[in-house]
Amino acid sequence: MNRQLAHLSDEALVALAARSEQSALAELYDRYGRTAYGLALRILRDQALAEDAVQEAFLGVWRTASRFVPERGRASTWILTLVHRRAVDAVRREQRRRAVSLDRAAEPSVDGVEEDAWLRFQRERVQAALSRLPDAQREALELAYYGGFSQSELAERLGQPLGTIKSRMFGGLSRMRDLLGEPGTETSWTHTT
Amino acid sequence: MDPHDLTAAYALDALEPEEAEAYERHLSRCEECREQLAELTETSAALAYGSAAPPPPPRLRTSILDAAAAERSNVVPLRQRRWVSRGLAVAAAAVACVAVGLGVALSQSSKPQRAWTVSVGPTGRATLSVSGLSGAPHGKTYEAWIIPAGKDPQPAGLFPGSTSAMRLSGTVPRHAVVAVTVEPAGGSTKPTSTPIFAAKT
Repeated sequence: MNRQLAHLSDEALVALAARSEQSALAELYDRYGRTAYGLALRILRDQALAEDAVQEAFLGVWRTASRFVPERGRASTWILTLVHRRAVDAVRREQRRRAVSLDRAAEPSVDGVEEDAWLRFQRERVQAALSRLPDAQREALELAYYGGFSQSELAERLGQPLGTIKSRMFGGLSRMRDLLGEPGTETSWTHTT
Repeated sequence: MDPHDLTAAYALDALEPEEAEAYERHLSRCEECREQLAELTETSAALAYGSAAPPPPPRLRTSILDAAAAERSNVVPLRQRRWVSRGLAVAAAAVACVAVGLGVALSQSSKPQRAWTVSVGPTGRATLSVSGLSGAPHGKTYEAWIIPAGKDPQPAGLFPGSTSAMRLSGTVPRHAVVAVTVEPAGGSTKPTSTPIFAAKT
């Protein structure tokens, strides 16, 4: 594994990828591939589809790196957004059975692997913030983000007016932003090695 | 439908395609929504960390990097040049050259789909990738060359054309040219034909 780029920021790596530097893409994958795969697997619940989604997302990074604008947001956000979009597109296209309830037991297992304390820390932090949301907001966020349901599908599935779903998603996401930004839980989102 | 209401749903990828398009049109003329979307997108992306993440299979990394190598979206057009005077003048070719030592070229022959990529690592180890190249003619082979500035071409490996990527033998110094010629089967010690590809790194 080439770690010679390990000292570079995500944004610098994207700039190198825009110049066709393959090792920069490899480094970005080494930083975010596992999170990307975990996310795609949770949404798609199928290893082959998850791999496809991750691959397409990283090739999207490769193809469009020159259009990434650092001022608009973090590179990690951009990458994970691409992964999420690919996975959601796939789950809708495949018309696969999506989770009705997203209980914790349905999450992929990590078999006690502790090779990345950073990922575990982030997971616990996000899960703690989610657990502090009102149930209705958490349900809307989880079904939308991890289930790949559109707001219209959610309104139908939950038997609620569309306006209610919209405000739950907005309220939930805004509250998450505040919870994740609270002092004491603050952390650098930049991967450091 | 008020597009302002759709920011959170858009950040969560929870819009139907036509709704997303309408929102994107609105976004182009609403600074307030752009700012709010940037914030909410950071938050929604953080949800990606909320799942336990088993390691992906190692083949995924390989597959992504191989596919990236074969892509030609990042290519920079390169005019093919004649192999002039003992092969040295090739160094003057119009080239793709970036700080990290990467030369990329799209051949402008009658087969516009062919794309070459030379990736040079920090140590000078290099990989040559090509897509759209048919196999070498019978009794012939493709041969790669490394041409250090001001020096004679050094053989850098043979390949039949059916492979998409090969690691060059030897290292590529700064400002060297990487070239490919068609040679008799078994290869040559000096290039005997006009290069079908040349790029300065």
